[in-house]
Amino acid sequence: MSFDLHRPSSLAEAVALAGLFGPGARFIAGGTDVVIQINRGKIAPAHLIDISLLPGLAGIAATAEGYAIGPLTTYRTIERHAAFQGPLSALVEAAAVVGGHQVRNIATVGGNIVNASPAADFVPPLLTLDAVLDIAGPQGDRTVALRDFITGPGKTSLGAGELVTAIRFARLAANSATAFFKEGRRKAMEISVVCVAASLTLDASGTRCVSARLAVGAAGPTALRPERAEASLAGQAAGLTSFRDAGRLAAEASSPISDVRASADHRRHLVAVLVERALTRCAERIAGARP
Amino acid sequence: MSRRILNVVINGERHELLIEPHWTLLQVLRGQIGMMGTKENCLEAECGVCTVLLEGKAVNSCILLAGQVEGRAITTIEGLGDPEHLHPLQAAFIEHGAVQCGYCIPGMILSAKSFLDENPGRQPTRQEIREALAGTLCRCTGYGKIVDAVAAAAQRMAGKEPTP
Amino acid sequence: MSARNFRVAGQRLPRMDGIGKVTGKHVYAADFTLAGMLFGKILRSTRAHALIRRLDTSRAAAMPGVRAVITAADIPAVRFGQAVRDTTVFALDRVLFMGHPIAAVAAVSLEIAVQALAAIDVDYEDLPAVFDMEAALKSAVLVHPEWATYKALPIIARSGNISGRARIKAGDVEAAFAGAHRVYEHRFTTALQHPGYTEPRAAVADWDANGNVTVWTGTQLPFDTQNTLAEILDLPSSRVRVIVPGIGGGFGGKLRIGVEHFAALLARKTARPVRVITTSEEELTHSYPRQATVVTLKTGVDRDGHLLARQGRIVLDCGAYAGSGPATAAIALQVLAGPYKTAALALESFAVYTNKGTSGSFRGPAGPMANFAVESQMDMIAADLGLDPLEIRLRNIVHEGDRGPSGEVLRAVSIEECLRRAAAAIGWDDRKPAPGRGKGIACGWWMTTGGSSGVYVKINPDGSATLVSGAVEIGTGAITGASQILAEELSLDLADISVTGVDTQAAPYDYGAQGSRTAFSVGNACLAAAADLRRQMFAIAAAQLDAPVEAMVLRDKHVVAGDKSISIAEVARISRLSGGGLIAHGTAISPSPAYDPGRLENHPLPAWNTPSFHAHAVDLSVDPDTGTVDIHRYVVAQDVGFAINPTYIEGQIEGGVAQGIGQALSEEIVYQDGKVMNANLTDYKMPTALDVPDIESILVECASVAGPYGAKGVGEPPCIEPPAAIANAIAAATGFWLPSLPMTAEKIARELRARRK
Repeated sequence: MSFDLHRPSSLAEAVALAGLFGPGARFIAGGTDVVIQINRGKIAPAHLIDISLLPGLAGIAATAEGYAIGPLTTYRTIERHAAFQGPLSALVEAAAVVGGHQVRNIATVGGNIVNASPAADFVPPLLTLDAVLDIAGPQGDRTVALRDFITGPGKTSLGAGELVTAIRFARLAANSATAFFKEGRRKAMEISVVCVAASLTLDASGTRCVSARLAVGAAGPTALRPERAEASLAGQAAGLTSFRDAGRLAAEASSPISDVRASADHRRHLVAVLVERALTRCAERIAGARP
Repeated sequence: MSRRILNVVINGERHELLIEPHWTLLQVLRGQIGMMGTKENCLEAECGVCTVLLEGKAVNSCILLAGQVEGRAITTIEGLGDPEHLHPLQAAFIEHGAVQCGYCIPGMILSAKSFLDENPGRQPTRQEIREALAGTLCRCTGYGKIVDAVAAAAQRMAGKEPTP
Repeated sequence: MSARNFRVAGQRLPRMDGIGKVTGKHVYAADFTLAGMLFGKILRSTRAHALIRRLDTSRAAAMPGVRAVITAADIPAVRFGQAVRDTTVFALDRVLFMGHPIAAVAAVSLEIAVQALAAIDVDYEDLPAVFDMEAALKSAVLVHPEWATYKALPIIARSGNISGRARIKAGDVEAAFAGAHRVYEHRFTTALQHPGYTEPRAAVADWDANGNVTVWTGTQLPFDTQNTLAEILDLPSSRVRVIVPGIGGGFGGKLRIGVEHFAALLARKTARPVRVITTSEEELTHSYPRQATVVTLKTGVDRDGHLLARQGRIVLDCGAYAGSGPATAAIALQVLAGPYKTAALALESFAVYTNKGTSGSFRGPAGPMANFAVESQMDMIAADLGLDPLEIRLRNIVHEGDRGPSGEVLRAVSIEECLRRAAAAIGWDDRKPAPGRGKGIACGWWMTTGGSSGVYVKINPDGSATLVSGAVEIGTGAITGASQILAEELSLDLADISVTGVDTQAAPYDYGAQGSRTAFSVGNACLAAAADLRRQMFAIAAAQLDAPVEAMVLRDKHVVAGDKSISIAEVARISRLSGGGLIAHGTAISPSPAYDPGRLENHPLPAWNTPSFHAHAVDLSVDPDTGTVDIHRYVVAQDVGFAINPTYIEGQIEGGVAQGIGQALSEEIVYQDGKVMNANLTDYKMPTALDVPDIESILVECASVAGPYGAKGVGEPPCIEPPAAIANAIAAATGFWLPSLPMTAEKIARELRARRK
């Protein structure tokens, strides 16, 4: 276990270094995943390129379409961000259950995404927002949808030397809300047994679903969007029946494993329960019945 | 792999240290400087006994590469208060019986300080205090008296109750 | 002496070591370093049961920076152990579990030591293994084929994989079952639970020029560690010195030798100080966790719910070595009887070897496992008979002067008060306040472990006192409590007492920080030392004041006789000039109660000293879909005899309950085919600050005869009842009892779904 640590001062320098060192290099920001993986012998990079202090990559900006989150934004920043306390509260709810404060003070959203853990808590809410990632690299800049970016457990479409530079998503339509639910064995410091995010838009009367977007984590090799469940809600009356049906369809779409944390059977059951709950919570929020 | 010079400010003092790139801040504090107030246990950011403040914010020093704190300011428990001048959190932990074996306490106190400093003057709820401390495991106390101590210290730090 | 008149004892005074602990200045074993020390690491087996065909350390030994590699071939051939001397430092020709030490390396850095482990070549030949404790009872696979050649305490009954069997018998169980209104039979299982101390086990060893070794270690039992080290090193024990700098929790997991012997052996080989510290992975694969058990309970009752007969069996999984298993299993028998009158008892314990890591005696050993079975079944019986769970307990509990399971006469019995106060505090009248919500109650009893304590107390010429004790302040505040007693007896303030560190070379003997005994026994020894010091001081004062000794008392740091007085400081100064200073050796030993030996077979702890009584009540909700348990309130009514320092007693209760909540709901070392599947703190789930509610403590004070000012043992009981109390509350909320710990949300959800179908 040994490597060189590099501290580039600009994005261009970081990308150049990554290009120079090739597959033996890893970017590191908060390091809360990378250092543990190195210590456990899961990865053995020869070069770590510290991007944690690169200018312009941290913070949350309102844009014409919605929001751009810098990849170096910490969870604690997301959690406390005023603009996310309303309809986008799934972002706050997911950020608030990643590790303890010590991790959330330094772990970055970008790191959580590129780490591509199937149980990453922050990925499902972003999936329901149809987030896209801006990526810089030796071959130039590109933009990719988050749902196309994560390709398997620990796998992404990130090429050698490429770096996420922004996470962007559009504002929600009127009469919309989001919600995030997670189950684990404890009430904190948990890797999700299952987590679910929902984004729901109702019609002006607040009774009928216009559209719904769902994402499920820790119930398959990657966080997934259960499309049949989402489609089942369109045009339906918002309520227990349609939400429960969506939960059942989402459970059918999931492909969880059994491990020391939970059985596949229990995970599938939780997907159904949490999808129903997340949709219910969204509807309550739209009605102003709950924060 | 090459050794490098690390410049870091710890508890207000500048240190120039020769480190290996893979050393964590915890290794530097304990193994190189010999500051043992920051504790070691799980080394995977699960238990919180290694908590220090990085620019005022609580972080796990066990998974923070020392090279990443170049030029930055670290506070450890030794920098918070000394026996003659205890920080209100330190005093409250003693007064409220929040200390048993004490091994988690430096991390617990620094986690609490980081949290209270986010909103100076605001009195947190017990639930908020519990959320803020959830990243630091204590096996002795069952947490209740620790929450008491943090709540009391918050009041004192907000100037609502004089330090005795 | 009446509690009302105390100035120091019984007061909520801050602990003596608090300032050092909040400022980071308190030195723990894991913090202790010596100049030039080497770093030791242990090579551990990757097979559960296998012959070692080849063990080649030559590549590792040749690595730069490696100073020594040792294996079984390099050290004295010694078997050690408590009840059974079955344990070796390293695997001999056979590994008995995954994690079994095979070799140890000392190197100039921890990293080099880790690299050297990877350079040790081991060839294994797998052997059939036995993992299931009940299968092990009858298995042809013997973990120790040579078991009959091992030395053991004469009281221990062994055979094959059974490292200890004990029995308690009274009356005619079969006849009582035959005449019973109903007979209930249930089976319960409990899981391996790690003690979860936040400081890893750590030791530094250093040999001096005369061939003596000093070991700085975070042990709960310095004298036991000294003796075990002496056996392993083949030295007289006086040549082994154990110093305990500070200890970051133990809970029974740091009773027995952990890493000290590796440090001492490597230090001897290298002639350098060596430090060894465990990793989380080592803790979860090779430490001393609470044993997993299987408990079967058959209980006969009359129409009114009176207990007539109980047949109980506990099988306890020791792992590869007996450890404390035989004694722990036997202790369970008293818990299986419970604080209840039952005329006919047939209780039997088996401690069993399997090819897994050795287990140990985590806080209240066997208490929570047996209590979980007994108290869950009490509620099941009550439900079947249509009785209130509190009522069935009140009908069966013991009272003053009743006989316990060993035939002993019970004194200072307070179980009724504990039950009634816990029930009142939780609001027992409204036991199912909402759908999915329920309240549960459980009660129990526990011993104050005996063993002797000695202290030296010195009065200094400034009038202060120094307490020299071999008892480790493990965090409970017990030494602060004992010092409060000492200050009280000497008319001093707590601030006038100082305590020296624990050093086996300098301190008088103490049986150790275990078994809820430290404040109790060291407190009693302080009483004795103070009495001796009073005699010494009064004799000096008699000459100075020209007053009779009989007229003297200590008051406000003075010897007072009528209107004459002399300060303690002055007496101490005079004593220095004339008699070598004031010092006393106080000792204490807990009396063993008389019992009926005819009731017991092969029981190493036949009758309990100064038992305590307790009741827990909990109010919780169960999520109808996810099975998640949410604890709203948790109340403990515990008889502590006399509360020497209420703050730290509450601390014991709150911390013990938190551990019990962990055992009840989330904690479990998971083995699969001999391999630990969750050997890290990511997947070994101890409760966080969000998982534990504010715990409400009611301190019942039913004074004991034997304890200081009537005190009883306090430390272990709080972790005994939580699993049962929570199981009973879950049942009140859902209608079913889960007979298997931990009661995870998944298990609850599965049962909820099964019942909905």
